[in-house]
Amino acid sequence: MTGWLLDPYRISLRTGWTPARVTLAQLIALAAPVAVSVAERGAPQIAVLATVLIAGLIWELAFNLIRGRALSWHAASAALIFAVLVPASVPLWQVAMALSFGLVFGELVFGGRGYGIVSAAAAGAGFLVFSFSGTGLSMSSQAMALAALPGAVLLLVAGLISWRVLVSVAVVLGGIAVLQDGAGGLLPVAIASIFSLVFLIGDPVAAASTNPGRWVFGVLAGVLIMLFDTVAGAAVAPAAIVFASLLASIFAPLIDHMAVALMVRRRRARHG
Amino acid sequence: MLPGIRIDHSRLPEQLIDDGAPVERIALLGADLPGLRPKLLCDQGDRVKRGQAVFHDRAHPEVAFVSPVSGIVESITLGPRRSLSSLVIRSEIGQHEPDPVVMATSTSDELRAALLAKGFWPAFLTRPFGRIPAADAVADAIFVTVTPDNPHAADPRVVLKEQGGVFQAGLKALTLLTAGLVHVCQTPGTDLAAGLGDRIRAAFFPAGHSSGLTGTHIHRLHPVDGNRTVWSIGYQDVAAIGRLIETGVHDFGRVVALAGPRAKRPRLIRTVAGASLQDLIKDEAVPRQDGERLQVLSGSALSGRPASWLGRYHHQITLLDNAAPRRKLPERGLMAHLRLASSRPGPLIPTAALEQALGFDVPLVPFLRALSVGDAETAGRLGCLEMVEEDVAAVSMACTSGADYGRMLRHILDELAEDS
Repeated sequence: MTGWLLDPYRISLRTGWTPARVTLAQLIALAAPVAVSVAERGAPQIAVLATVLIAGLIWELAFNLIRGRALSWHAASAALIFAVLVPASVPLWQVAMALSFGLVFGELVFGGRGYGIVSAAAAGAGFLVFSFSGTGLSMSSQAMALAALPGAVLLLVAGLISWRVLVSVAVVLGGIAVLQDGAGGLLPVAIASIFSLVFLIGDPVAAASTNPGRWVFGVLAGVLIMLFDTVAGAAVAPAAIVFASLLASIFAPLIDHMAVALMVRRRRARHG
Repeated sequence: MLPGIRIDHSRLPEQLIDDGAPVERIALLGADLPGLRPKLLCDQGDRVKRGQAVFHDRAHPEVAFVSPVSGIVESITLGPRRSLSSLVIRSEIGQHEPDPVVMATSTSDELRAALLAKGFWPAFLTRPFGRIPAADAVADAIFVTVTPDNPHAADPRVVLKEQGGVFQAGLKALTLLTAGLVHVCQTPGTDLAAGLGDRIRAAFFPAGHSSGLTGTHIHRLHPVDGNRTVWSIGYQDVAAIGRLIETGVHDFGRVVALAGPRAKRPRLIRTVAGASLQDLIKDEAVPRQDGERLQVLSGSALSGRPASWLGRYHHQITLLDNAAPRRKLPERGLMAHLRLASSRPGPLIPTAALEQALGFDVPLVPFLRALSVGDAETAGRLGCLEMVEEDVAAVSMACTSGADYGRMLRHILDELAEDS
């Protein structure tokens, strides 16, 4: 495949995204939420952070060494998202185990960042909830929601999440909240969901990759969140978003397939 | 500005036409004629006149390729599978130039015969596939590209101004080759094709990366597929055809923009198609203190190629600093295991920058995936027939993978062309 690479002179002119730069942008976006999680949960959260970072990087290093591929460092950003989602009270071995599952089976077995079909952090969080009874995910606080906002703006401006996904999922969630509790229902829903929407549902690799598909993906994710949430209980549970993200990601290729079929048909109609 | 490409802060070329340095040697290049196998009509050491056929296409013997200058054939190099690599002609200054012969070009057949014999037929490129059309083909429409595709290109209006009415004469002739329209795609301003009849239609596109490309014009005005074929032609070739018809003079002159950070005086220079870039830019490059070597591109920084000859279809020469030598791969230690050649191409992460880089309405990520795995059928369904390499050049720069989608596209187009 070496014949398919850009010429060296064009590589030198290139300033665009590389996998490692994508991870770096995500890490910057995650800095504030992680800081808030440490401030809120104290020393145990630092232990969780250390555990997930070490576990995550060990897996990434192991897989990349075997494959002889350059590190994308994406395990670090997946680990930080995961650390924000899990409560600090979970035993560290469970944290390490769940993240390992998420990284390996959500991403690394497929070839690493960019080749997987679900968000690695969501897969890990889902594994944690399923496997260890009694474990819930930590609820997002107001400070956490505020801290996620600058990151969301950064990722949107950088084009690393699609505004189409965010807008459609937010409209569905907001609409349902207004229907259930009136205008007062908007704020709690926004606080509870903003971090997970940006970092789980918005993951460009796990979401649909065509523009019409992104709208459908967002709506599907919103409907699934609502569906899982009514099963779970009152306020938007973090677990509902995690499972909605996983299920919606699994449908993303199907959505893309239909979107492509639609676009091809439109093309044909235009060509006469 | 384009996402993904280092912004070129070098001075824009002055839109003033200068005579370029005299060029001793010119070449006809295989790189301009992908897939062509020549049947040579001359030998090394033969004396050829300007406009004399030097080879023709083995598959289409009517399509002749002529010498742009009078001189001596210096070398003929064949490439793999009996394709042409290059045919170099050393020009003899002061040799008697052939007298102009005005040919009859009032009917379609006469014009066709004249263009084929005089070597102007290869000025046309078909879309789909970007190949030279067959001698008896009829285009559904002809697109004349009169737009610059980057800020460092020559302004076609400046170039055409000094050519007089030959451009309009060339346009009128083009209507004989198509049953449909001749689209004159130009930058906003006075209509260069005004008053030439209702089959010559002006279309205005702002200057800019994707809006200046022929592919975008075709995509907007007359989308093509397996059943519909249009031709495209550059504005300088149209003017040359007009001159051939009006005066019988065989003119392979080119006005090219000289640009890039290493250009001493970025401006437009007059030279000839296939000119030796070494001769042409002898005194044009800024020497660097640290002795860094010069990278000469025929074409723009984005879609040009490193070359020693000016390409047949190129209107720009870009002088860059030599690409920094790739850091040597470590041979031992942990990093040696992580920096193997298998690291690249990297993964394709769907970022918004990708979508800004392509001027077509296609599902981009599925399309790029189809290109990456060489799935010609899907790529064709998603619209690759409308594109050639230059259309996806910006995508390669914006993508996380570092793959050259232009090369992948050419591979797939060749495969589809063989099937059709």
